[in-house]
Amino acid sequence: MSLFALLLLPFAYIILALLIKKASIKKRLAILFATANFLWALALIPLVQFKEMIVVQTGGWQAPYGITLVADKLSVFMLVMVAIIFLVTTIYATQAVDKERRKSGHYFFSFGILMGVNGSLIAGDVFNLYVWYEVMLMSSFILISLGGEKAQMEGSIKYLILNLISALFFVSGVGLLYGNLGSLNMADLSRIIANQPELLPQLNPALILMFVSFAIKGALVPFFFWLPASYHTPPPAVTALFAGLLTKVGIYSLIRFYTLFLYHDAPFWNQLILIMGSLSMIIGVFAASSQYDFRKILSFHIISQVGYAVIALGFYSVAGIAAAIFFLGHNMLSKTNAFLVAGWIKHHKGTLNLKTLGEVYKESTIWGVLFFISAFSLAGLPPLSGFVGKYLIIKAGIEANQLTVTLIALFVGLFTLFSMVKIWLEVFWKNKPRDKVVKAPLPPPKDHWMLTTSVVMAILIVAMGVWAQPIINFCEAAAFDLMNPDKYIEFVLGKS
Amino acid sequence: MQNIILEKIASLFLKAMIIVSFWLLLRGHDEPGGGFIAGIIASTGFILYAIVYGSVAVEKILRWNTRNWMGIGLGIIFIAIIIPIFMGYPPLTGVWMPTPSFLDGFIHIGTPILFDIGVYIAVIGIILSILITIMEVLKWNS
Repeated sequence: MSLFALLLLPFAYIILALLIKKASIKKRLAILFATANFLWALALIPLVQFKEMIVVQTGGWQAPYGITLVADKLSVFMLVMVAIIFLVTTIYATQAVDKERRKSGHYFFSFGILMGVNGSLIAGDVFNLYVWYEVMLMSSFILISLGGEKAQMEGSIKYLILNLISALFFVSGVGLLYGNLGSLNMADLSRIIANQPELLPQLNPALILMFVSFAIKGALVPFFFWLPASYHTPPPAVTALFAGLLTKVGIYSLIRFYTLFLYHDAPFWNQLILIMGSLSMIIGVFAASSQYDFRKILSFHIISQVGYAVIALGFYSVAGIAAAIFFLGHNMLSKTNAFLVAGWIKHHKGTLNLKTLGEVYKESTIWGVLFFISAFSLAGLPPLSGFVGKYLIIKAGIEANQLTVTLIALFVGLFTLFSMVKIWLEVFWKNKPRDKVVKAPLPPPKDHWMLTTSVVMAILIVAMGVWAQPIINFCEAAAFDLMNPDKYIEFVLGKS
Repeated sequence: MQNIILEKIASLFLKAMIIVSFWLLLRGHDEPGGGFIAGIIASTGFILYAIVYGSVAVEKILRWNTRNWMGIGLGIIFIAIIIPIFMGYPPLTGVWMPTPSFLDGFIHIGTPILFDIGVYIAVIGIILSILITIMEVLKWNS
């Protein structure tokens, strides 16, 4: 029950949104349900610390046969982060998303995404993971194309097609896995593979297909094209939501798969993951430096930041996985907040082209400071959360004797700083170019909620950096559980 | 052009399809059938009706907006999911009502049938909302 509510809350909102006509009530209900989801996710933390893991067997069918919902510490950490991002962007959207879009179902489909994300974070079997991915994909596709501007259509078609390919790979992988092993419950699969390691070579096609699908979802290097092609087209509140949730779910699934199945063949997968992660870091950051659109820079940075989390996974140690989890959490906060700032600028200046912007700091000091906090947290300056995240990754890398990759991570950090400084200089500092006048949208919308949410996010970013120790402890406990898959198996299947 | 024979057939076909879909809905669970397929079959009747009489006539039969029908269907599903929770079982468990012995083999009421009815209504709502939108956009027979 405790886990099922995370699915029932968004579902209940969707039902109410279908039955209620009035937009203002729907808005209030959206905030109410997002808050409830957040509180529920918070309430899972003590549960998971007390009982290690939470398992719900829906319909009373026992584990390898029924639909299992499992939450361990990693899931709960992600659920809480997702709930924070969702609550913040929901409140932000009340002012940042125009009335047309809100009337035609902005919240409705955001709750669809929430349901998909929550579902994939607690799914205990592979096929359900796929189903929740689809829920997430369809809702996000509609959300990205809602409004029907020309640029949006172009972006959403690319988004849909590349993500459908990912879904195709995933479901073929699921089919192959089922054909080979006759089970889809993750714990059961992990147990079968652990008992019969000689099965592994014949599973490789399935695992590679699934790995590629997660890499597409998580926007790792050879498969990242959908992300920068689509993220700059929808309203900024939508981009903020996507940046916080979608790629991170791909990486979450990768962590889950790695620690349950892929670790048996660690030498091969570690190499692959490290190479893809390093390439993602480098290519993402270089592509970002060459862009001149605020949101495109940030979108390319997502690719680079995801690379960090992935190399930390590739170190395959408790410290590495803990660092990856912490970094994911940090990145969700900082990246979303950077997009929230971009949204405010888009609303007040009508453009996000760096060449036509300028002097924003003079006009609004507070938004300048907010951007400063999130951008330099992404770049990894102390005492912000990014510093702790990168420090943990680099420390884990040195301990795992992966010096090349660690050096690449440090080097990429420098370039992240470079492109953040570039945005800072171009948007906030330089004199406004007099020859390129873009007329500001009229009338300027009220923005007190936009400001409040962004300030809350900034405080969370600082807090995550300053009071990092309890969070690191939690992440380490999560990583410790992940490194001992037997515990997960025992918990889901019961002792046998 | 008005074609009386076609109109009569369409309205008879709608009634027949609804009866067939009820039969499929109720025989589901243990035998082939169930909420989804029954919903699709019922909506084929509505589709022919809409082609002959126009989408406004379908909206009149439905009485409420298709969005509301989807909401009602999903709401029934929601109720079917949470009933077992209050009785101390995991969500989605099939809970059955005790039936008197002389009805054995005829009627067996429980949450799965509620769930199927919810799916049935939601499927009709979704298909008809797609249909009506398409017919309105194309200005087809209205």
